[in-house]
Amino acid sequence: MNTVVTAPGAVASDSADSVARPPAWPHRHLLDVDVLSRAQVELVMDTAAAMAEIVAKRRPRSDALRGTGVTNLFYEASTRTRVSFEVAARHLSADVVNVSVSGSSIEKGESLLDTMRTLESLGARVLVIRHAVSGAPYLVAREFGGSVVNAGDGRHAHPTQALLDLYTLRRHIPGGSLQGRKVVILGDVLHSRVARSNLWTLTAAGADIWVCGPSTLLRGFEAWAAAGVGGDGRFTVTSDVDAALRDADAVMALRLQQERMAAGLLPSLHEYAARYGLTRERLALAHEGCLVLHPGPMNEGVEIAPDVAAGRRSLIREQVANGVAVRMAVLALVTSAASRADA
Amino acid sequence: MSAVAGRAVAAAEVGHEVDLDLSGAWLVDPGSGREGPADIVVRDGRIETITWLDATDASGIDDIGVVVTPGFIDLHAHLREPGNEAAETIASGLAAAAHGGFTTVCAMPNSTPPIDRAAMVDAARAAAAASGSPVRLFQVGAVTAGRAGEQLAVLGELADAGVVGFSDDGSPVQRAELFRNALAYAGMLGLPVIDHPEDLTQTSGAEANDGLVATVLGLRGWPASAEAGAVARDLEILAEVAREVPVARLHLTHLSTAASIDLVRRAKAAGLPVTCDVTPHHLALTDEWLAGARRWAWEALDDAGLPRDPWRDGVLEADPYDSALRVNPPLRSAVDAGACLVGLLDGTVDAIATDHAPHTQVDKDVEFGAARPGIAGIETALGLILQAVDAGLLPLARAIEALTRGPARVLGTAAPLTGLVEGEPADLVIFDRGARWTVVPDALRTRGWGSPLLGRSLPGPVLLTVAGGRLAYEASEPA
Repeated sequence: MNTVVTAPGAVASDSADSVARPPAWPHRHLLDVDVLSRAQVELVMDTAAAMAEIVAKRRPRSDALRGTGVTNLFYEASTRTRVSFEVAARHLSADVVNVSVSGSSIEKGESLLDTMRTLESLGARVLVIRHAVSGAPYLVAREFGGSVVNAGDGRHAHPTQALLDLYTLRRHIPGGSLQGRKVVILGDVLHSRVARSNLWTLTAAGADIWVCGPSTLLRGFEAWAAAGVGGDGRFTVTSDVDAALRDADAVMALRLQQERMAAGLLPSLHEYAARYGLTRERLALAHEGCLVLHPGPMNEGVEIAPDVAAGRRSLIREQVANGVAVRMAVLALVTSAASRADA
Repeated sequence: MSAVAGRAVAAAEVGHEVDLDLSGAWLVDPGSGREGPADIVVRDGRIETITWLDATDASGIDDIGVVVTPGFIDLHAHLREPGNEAAETIASGLAAAAHGGFTTVCAMPNSTPPIDRAAMVDAARAAAAASGSPVRLFQVGAVTAGRAGEQLAVLGELADAGVVGFSDDGSPVQRAELFRNALAYAGMLGLPVIDHPEDLTQTSGAEANDGLVATVLGLRGWPASAEAGAVARDLEILAEVAREVPVARLHLTHLSTAASIDLVRRAKAAGLPVTCDVTPHHLALTDEWLAGARRWAWEALDDAGLPRDPWRDGVLEADPYDSALRVNPPLRSAVDAGACLVGLLDGTVDAIATDHAPHTQVDKDVEFGAARPGIAGIETALGLILQAVDAGLLPLARAIEALTRGPARVLGTAAPLTGLVEGEPADLVIFDRGARWTVVPDALRTRGWGSPLLGRSLPGPVLLTVAGGRLAYEASEPA
């Protein structure tokens, strides 16, 4: 695997000879994946692979972000994504600040833009933001002097999750390419930023995407499938879980939240689990080597059976591990674009 | 004394009577149904003579030059006073109206507190008088006490105080029985109920028109049926009420969906006493603007009349989630916008109303889903409509009719259209069809923060607005 330097000194390389100049990364922010070209996605993948080599070391450390303030601004509870970004930033020697805000900015009484300006004054050069309102990172990016990385906004996008899912899938899918591979996204698609971002990256990678769930949780997606997403991939929407899983190469189960019952979208958790839970019996419809993913946190026994989650083909723990390398790559790339913009 | 394209004005200050000598302007007069070149003389604020020129005199004069029409009437504006003067005041709202070519503004009663007593109507009128603006303020009274939807407001007291209609705009009258009683009681008083049709059980938390854009952007969907369902309810109740109270009248405001327009079309064909308006933004803009597209509604339809895909077309040029575009009802699909335009052409739609809804930066410059809904559009209304005229989709005369005679009819005797009648006080707007202006904050009179059109150029800058014979607005320099 090539070691790729994304910015001067971005990645410590074992050998100066292996250093190759990558195409310049143009995006100062990472707000969504739909703006990434194929080559840019490849650059993230290659950079992540190089980062994974650093992560694999006994004392993972790169100087790529030394002296750079990375602030994690999380308006929603999150363990894995926040810790993943924090670990990624520390591996790159960044100065990390974590800000958790319970409740919305409105309840807190300070506007999102004011909070951003405060954090910028306190040295934030990269703002990693998680927010319950779709599009919130765009508001911040409009005014922030550094780089904004979207760590999940409402139902809209979770770019680093989609990139780490792609990275993880490509490492395990036979042949390393998703071209023509059947990938199923199963569950609460309506509310899922993970599903939306994966739709862009997986169809761009040529996958045959099947989005599956009860009809109430697919609202609007039939029209999206009809419009298409661009890329080579196909995009099918169905409530027929057997049809979706038949001969699948990979399946990604999505978290189902309790609130969906109160909102009248589903009769009961039990009924959901019975009809759409990813069980060993259902998985038997898929290819024998079908890969299993879940963005977490899981409701085991609801959208995914414990034996499937812990099964031989489950990549769920590896998703978490790869998340660090992919986020290191994203942090290095967006700051390289920001430093070029400053120059 | 200034002169632009044959115009001569002798009035220095807003509020003063106007003398005007216009020669060879393009006159559009829905009152008489005529359109063509004319000379107009105004003395001491009154129309002295209107001389229509025949074709031989009118060489080179056409409707792409200086156009004169009666002053516009806005059936729907929010002036935010009392209670939110940081967003707008009656004075700033009337100044914005004049800049937009409006000489009559119907103010919605959802101030804080709402206008549900005669004394508050008097206070609004006093504020308008104190502003010095000659633009007429018509007040709409609340339908229900405190706009709480529980019991009727003092409709008779409000009628005596001079309101032109009743509305809980911002909210529908949810309780159907109360809505029925409001129609009957307001009808008895000779006034319309103006309903904001929205089924709140379908729109809780909704952010964007239910459709491709909302799905892709992860915005909570606002279905068209939430409007059409409410319209259908209103019309069924109106049909029953009108049998017993034939003078009952319903005006449906800011209709935005094809289904609503169709329901009104059929109700009118059945003889129901219903009128409706659409806004300039629902005619010209669509939900794809939320994704960053900046093409007009009529450019977003394919040959089969279906909405085009802005992602596939590669037309996303602006940042997505501009909170200036958050509005109730939401910007709809290109098909809905097209249906609103067809309704305007065939007479289903009586009027274009702005739903001018200014907000402060604090309320607007926030996350899209947290932004207060509303577009402060009274100054950009004409430009958006002329954009449709320039596209060849809307005759100029029909556009002007929907800004003047249409709303005047909805208001009945309160607003006789006499602004271009010899011997009467001049009430008119002059704009330059051949010029364009750029929407920048400094060009706007509203206190409202932001406009989805900032930075864009629009046709037809207003040169002069005269309300009741007195100067309301004059462009500082010829455009």
